[in-house]
Amino acid sequence: MKDNLTGEMNHVWLHIFMILFTLLAVYPVLWVFAIAFSGNQSLMIADISANPTFFDRLRTILPWPQHVSWKNFTDVMTEQPFARWMLNSLIVATLTTVVGVFLACTAAYSFSRFRFPGQRAGLMSFLISQMFPGTLMLVPLYIIIVKYLRLGNTFWGLIIVYSTTAIPFCVWMLKGYFDTISVEIEESAIMDGATRTMIFFRIILPLAQPAIAVTALFSFMTGWNEFIVASLFMEEEIRYTAPVGLRFFVGGFAQQWGYFAAGSIIVSLPVVILFMFTQKYLISGLTAGGVKG
Amino acid sequence: MKKIVSIPVAVGLLLAAALAFFLGALFVDQAAKDTQRMIGERHGIVQAMALAEVVSRVESEGVDVEDRLATVVEHRAQLKVKGIRIIRLSGARLLASSMPGDKATPRRLKKDEKWLFDLGQRLRIARETNRDEGIARKKEIELEYQPGEGMSVSAPYLVDGTVHGYVQLQLPQQVPASMASRGLAIIGAALVIGVFFILAIPLGHFGLFRPDEQGLSRGQLALAAGVLLLGLWIFAVTQISSLADHRWELEEGLAKHFTQLRAATMDISRSFGFKPAPFTKNLWDVDDYRRPLGISDARGHLMLKALVAVQTVQFEEMRRSLDGVGLLALAVLLFCGAGWATRLKDTLVEHREAYLYVSPAIIGMLILVFYPFLYGIVLSFTDATIYNTGAPLKELWIGFTNYLNILADIHVFARSGQGWIVNYQNFYWTLFITVAWTVVNVSIGVSVGLLLALILNTKGLKMRAVYRVLLILPWAIPNYITALIWRGMFHKQFGVINQVIQMFGGEPVAWFDGVFSSFITGIATNGWLSFPFMMVMCLGGLQSISQEMYEAARLDGAGRWHQFRYITLPSLKPVLVPAIIISVVWTFNMFNIIYLVSGGEPAGSNEILITQAYKIAFEQYRYGYAAAYSTIIFVILLAYGIFQIKMTRATEANI
Repeated sequence: MKDNLTGEMNHVWLHIFMILFTLLAVYPVLWVFAIAFSGNQSLMIADISANPTFFDRLRTILPWPQHVSWKNFTDVMTEQPFARWMLNSLIVATLTTVVGVFLACTAAYSFSRFRFPGQRAGLMSFLISQMFPGTLMLVPLYIIIVKYLRLGNTFWGLIIVYSTTAIPFCVWMLKGYFDTISVEIEESAIMDGATRTMIFFRIILPLAQPAIAVTALFSFMTGWNEFIVASLFMEEEIRYTAPVGLRFFVGGFAQQWGYFAAGSIIVSLPVVILFMFTQKYLISGLTAGGVKG
Repeated sequence: MKKIVSIPVAVGLLLAAALAFFLGALFVDQAAKDTQRMIGERHGIVQAMALAEVVSRVESEGVDVEDRLATVVEHRAQLKVKGIRIIRLSGARLLASSMPGDKATPRRLKKDEKWLFDLGQRLRIARETNRDEGIARKKEIELEYQPGEGMSVSAPYLVDGTVHGYVQLQLPQQVPASMASRGLAIIGAALVIGVFFILAIPLGHFGLFRPDEQGLSRGQLALAAGVLLLGLWIFAVTQISSLADHRWELEEGLAKHFTQLRAATMDISRSFGFKPAPFTKNLWDVDDYRRPLGISDARGHLMLKALVAVQTVQFEEMRRSLDGVGLLALAVLLFCGAGWATRLKDTLVEHREAYLYVSPAIIGMLILVFYPFLYGIVLSFTDATIYNTGAPLKELWIGFTNYLNILADIHVFARSGQGWIVNYQNFYWTLFITVAWTVVNVSIGVSVGLLLALILNTKGLKMRAVYRVLLILPWAIPNYITALIWRGMFHKQFGVINQVIQMFGGEPVAWFDGVFSSFITGIATNGWLSFPFMMVMCLGGLQSISQEMYEAARLDGAGRWHQFRYITLPSLKPVLVPAIIISVVWTFNMFNIIYLVSGGEPAGSNEILITQAYKIAFEQYRYGYAAAYSTIIFVILLAYGIFQIKMTRATEANI
């Protein structure tokens, strides 16, 4: 009985701590919402008088706008080319996902199911490639994509860069998952006269759906969130992706914080929701790779 | 019939000979075309120089200049050029022109013809610079190829030793003819293979160099190599001598052209009533710096010694290329003839399914990850910048200079009038900031993440799911958005954080103006977005610990601290160690936060290595230097990775 009581007491303190910490952690998100719904471009949530009191200051940090308005959202989609940028991002990210998942699935299957010379070297080189600094690759990538392949200022240029950069992580993750699928299923399928291709498409891919979903999410996020390569490759404003466009609002001397906040919410919402649904798998993928070493 | 000829050797010889002779013919052809192009340019230069001499005589006489020059430019048909322009710099005048499209001369240059005036200014400056410095550094004659139209040559004319103006010739397109080397190459390759069989078959009959069971034969391999090299050598010698003959013919043609031009200019001079200038040397056949080449003399005879000297240089280069071709062909022959190719083929066939599945990803990675990586490494040994992107990397090669400049510069601190100042651009300062940044961030991530995980793992705690979802939020938001949000919140005048400080009576802080406060902004942002990852990882680890262990420990009378120290931490290790390794690499290369929040302010003091490399590449456009910088980053990370793996293995072995 006594033990239970002290437990409850402890929980009170824990709740107080957790509520404070959660408020602190969520504040920047609330702040963005307040700016987005304020209807103007200012960084301040509320106007402030010349000699502000304690409560005036408090008003400026409370994440609730003085006038709630959808103006920033409607403006950013109609007056700014943001809808177009979203569409660009959607095209790039979707095709990145398709290409990336295809490349990763086939390679991971091979690494998981076959023993062949170069297997270890291939897997290790994928791992090491994760340490290549992006800045070392940017200039050569620019030369390859823009000069050799003539894909500068096109979506395909971005898509092939994104899908290949996502390969190593996806392959390691999928390989881990494929390893857990028992070989017996395949063997019995072979006994029944199935070819490798049939096994791969009819048995392995359907069984690996959760892992493929995570891989797809990862590829999609790579394409959806990247801005350095996109800002280097895309020359015309009409071809910007959403991240490049968002930075365009507040980078340098631009101070369109209202547009930025509204745009951020629109851009983040789909990935945040996707992330919340799939994070369990993402974590299991990360830990699975880690624990096995 | 018993095997007499080794099949792998024969196939290898076929491939090697085809490759060697094809490449050899390509090189010879290229050399011939280069020579023709060069001679073509010299024809243009000789014409321009001849014309410049006439113009300079007319200008120094100063009588009827414009009428006389008008008759001069009408000689374009005789000169076999498409058009001539004569421009005087003072007054920007187009004195005479027979270019199609230039109407009504003489006149002032129009606004859209400013490039003509600029070209003249360049030529004048080049002449003056070279004269003042006493060396040939700037080109005094400009050649320009217009695709599909031909070439234009602009040469200055001098009056009293200074550049007064220039003449420009438009030459028709010339199509360089190929040499007959391609046909010769096919014959050569066929001969090599034929000779090999003629030698190998009779020898085999007498039992010499017979292939073994696998169909391999060292003797035949050596024979094939000998025949191939001999054939290539003969090909090289004959082709080089025919190149030399070709050059001789072209030089003779040029010398003849020179004598014709000389006669023509004398006629023109006489028609204007000038005394023909004495001619002791061929002063018109010059290089881009107007230095006489001395290949032919004043009467148009070739100077054998000078010609041999220039050709030696050309053939030396040619020979080196052919040596390379020979080595390559030998490698191919060896690869096939020693049976490696067969083995490679067998491996490929045996594991064809595996390679089929893996190849799309591997090809993509090779082209877009590994090739750029190697290219970047090569780039790090050059001084490539935005200004010389067209130049071949061989010419920009500077060895380890970039690395030396980065690593050997240890002057992090310098003494100034007021005391010690820090050189924020120094590599070691940036490295220090990067290490500090990584250590602080990962420590914060691990401690906050672990603490929250422990709380969320408390038995019977209500609203756990709510806390968990809300606390994961920072991880879910794209990190460039996070960075820009925090940049806004740290704004000096309007930012929320300064409002809080002022709310409690403090003074607003200019966050991005101080080295330390700017560092704090990065830490706050990165801490905010990185703790959820650690929290979730730890939570996963904690949930997999069985409760029985704790109960057993409690029975043994272990306190909370002991339980944590001897059960929780060791059980978390398999999760925590990889998570820390991953987050060290992530944080070390966390470009977005530094670049978007503080931008490395003030004065670049808060750059980490990766943002510094980016700025060197894309704000200073020093690609080679940035590549060396990035390579160093890679080496540091690789060393860290190997060290970590060794460490984990060692500790695992101890348990």
